[in-house]
Amino acid sequence: MFKFIKQYVESIDNVNIYPMISLLIFFLFFVILLFMVKKMSKERLSELSNIPLDKEENTNSTL
Amino acid sequence: MQVEKFYYDNRIVRNFAYATMIWGAVGMLAGLWVALQLVFPQLNITQYASFGRLRPLHTNAVIFAFVGNGIFMGVYYSLQRLCKARMFSDKLSNIHFWGWQLIIVAAAITLPLGLSNGAEYAELIWPIDLAITVIWVVFGWNIFGTIIKRREKHLYVAIWFYIATFVTVAVLHIVRSGELPYTWLKSYSWYAGVQDALVQWWYGHNAVAFFLTTPYLGLMYYFLPKAANRPVYSYRLSIIHFWALIFLYIWAGPHHLLYTALPNWAQSLGIVFSFMLIFPSWGGMINGLLTLRGAWDRVRDDVVLKFMVVAVTAYGMATFEGPMLSLKSVSAISHYTDWIIAHVHVGALGWNGMLTFGVLYWLIPRIFKTELYSKKLAGRHFWLATLGILFYTIPMYWAGIQQSLMWKQFTEAGQLKYTFLETVTYMRPFYAMRSLGGTLYLVGVFFMFYNMYKTVKNAKLVANEEAEAAPLAKEYVAHKGEHWHRWIERRPVQLMILSLVVILIGGAIELVPTFLIKSNVPTISSVKPYTALELQGRDIYVREGCYTCHSQMIRPFRSETERYGEYSKAGEFVYDHPFQWGSKRIGPDLAREGSGNLKKSDGWHFRHLREPSSMSEGSIMPPYAFMIEQNLDTTTTVAKIKAMQTLGVPYAKGYEYQANNDLMMQANSVRINLKMEGIQVPANKEIIALIAYLQRLGTDISKSKTINKNN
Repeated sequence: MFKFIKQYVESIDNVNIYPMISLLIFFLFFVILLFMVKKMSKERLSELSNIPLDKEENTNSTL
Repeated sequence: MQVEKFYYDNRIVRNFAYATMIWGAVGMLAGLWVALQLVFPQLNITQYASFGRLRPLHTNAVIFAFVGNGIFMGVYYSLQRLCKARMFSDKLSNIHFWGWQLIIVAAAITLPLGLSNGAEYAELIWPIDLAITVIWVVFGWNIFGTIIKRREKHLYVAIWFYIATFVTVAVLHIVRSGELPYTWLKSYSWYAGVQDALVQWWYGHNAVAFFLTTPYLGLMYYFLPKAANRPVYSYRLSIIHFWALIFLYIWAGPHHLLYTALPNWAQSLGIVFSFMLIFPSWGGMINGLLTLRGAWDRVRDDVVLKFMVVAVTAYGMATFEGPMLSLKSVSAISHYTDWIIAHVHVGALGWNGMLTFGVLYWLIPRIFKTELYSKKLAGRHFWLATLGILFYTIPMYWAGIQQSLMWKQFTEAGQLKYTFLETVTYMRPFYAMRSLGGTLYLVGVFFMFYNMYKTVKNAKLVANEEAEAAPLAKEYVAHKGEHWHRWIERRPVQLMILSLVVILIGGAIELVPTFLIKSNVPTISSVKPYTALELQGRDIYVREGCYTCHSQMIRPFRSETERYGEYSKAGEFVYDHPFQWGSKRIGPDLAREGSGNLKKSDGWHFRHLREPSSMSEGSIMPPYAFMIEQNLDTTTTVAKIKAMQTLGVPYAKGYEYQANNDLMMQANSVRINLKMEGIQVPANKEIIALIAYLQRLGTDISKSKTINKNN
């Protein structure tokens, strides 16, 4: 099975372009990520970051 | 909306908590034992407790038993509360718990028996690998089931870390476990030589990343805010931390193989990504520490916060050091030395250990609805653990750098100043101090045991903790202009797929080109498959865990080529299933043990294996006299040769049936050599095969130095 895969992979042309493409994809991914994260609203962030803590409001824990 | 009443399952949390404590002590005890074996080699009692077999037991126990159960404890506690739901299925929880404990027991039995795959942290044999796969799927099923029936709309960042952990560990485990069974217990790695090395350290590094780091970061993002009673410093930073970390980590593996026969492009790739890792890692550390802003006064009194602060600080130190160690010039000094041992223990004792203790002290009293028995005792545990880390790591840093400098020291006449053995004997006081550090740390753990015992003794577990929450609306209507990340935060399956894509890209780009064997590994025409006897000898080498102390990879430095001969070439390892390059030199490199200046007589090897210190005074190697008594198992020869043929090793057709005849002929010639040196030993003993293998090492390349590039 492994030999089969190997033969298959041996025939990929221009495999060295793959790292460049992926690097570009992820560079863009990060730029967009940073931009989007920057745009998130303060209230929203505060709501999310309080998820572990707001137990008392919503639950009737015995502890 | 009508609120629903439900119950959190605390029993499963308690079970994993007990398991992490018990296995933690076992793993650390094994660690202390192997540390002491380096000071007192007499402690290598019987073949079942020799260093080479116990060291994998130590690493596997700490990683998969101590930290593994720690992960599950934390995940099962926090996931239920973050999702406002009980775990999906109690049955799955129990199968997960008992299955994982059985796997650990199986590992604790098989490793001392010498049943090993010979790959670091992936030593467990193929039936156990299969069991791990099944239990891991059970774990994933249970967490996704819980996430899907949750009552909290958004997935808190800790859950993303859990999801990424689940999916990446699954991929890593499957790829690394690519092996061809030849008996019901044993197998050969699918990959050979350079490929196997790359797969191994892609796996090995990401075991650190996705088993020791990402799940614990999830725990940090949940338990640190809980313990400090304030939200995480920056949720924005946690989003960036998550995506950057999982993307970068997967590429970093090759930094374990700098200056080796790994192709240069792969080494460079590893260095670049390893260096970049410092940014998300430190972002995460700062995020953790700044969560305590305004609450630092509480750290003075709250032992849970003390443990967590040291844990996060150790995370910061280890993740600063990691990228530095990935630089080629630093790796040239640090690789193969105790510096690396110090580095990993900052992570294991500092980050994983201290965070586990912090969570335990916070969680156990809560699920038992009681107070901790003694804060004072917990405080003593904290100081013992902290001092233990210092006493452990400082001597190891010192020893590592010193040893490296001694290896590289030349006299004015241009000769190596120290023999390898001199550098080993120099290390022994440092090994002793390290054992002291480990002892302190372990004593602290026993303090915790006592404290926990007293805490739970008169309390009753709140097995089903009552809670209430409104159910999720069936249809969630996205409002216009919704933030994209809010979309993903609601969708666990999409989050998993995106995480999978992110890590697969990194993994594939690293691994796929190396499988293009023809262009990446220049073949050497004089490199031939092992003879049947040498193959059997090699398997004994793997069984005994010789790779835990001996490398088989000579780096292209003058200090190494002077000591060990010509530097290693990728083409020399094409038939090595599995590769045995090693990662630590407690003993000298063996890549050219059978050739050039290093060549010794069969009789020397025999006497050395029987009683190492008789040939090398002051040697700390375990004795292997039992191999003189034990018969070589030749019933497996046919299966082994057949398996090798399937893997593409060019043995002639039908060779498997003549292999045992060949084996006996070669064994007889070794026997005759030994006889001429005054040693009487039958040809069918294990030691004969191991000698044949050691004498083969490095001989191929000395036959011919022509390298044919086949591309």
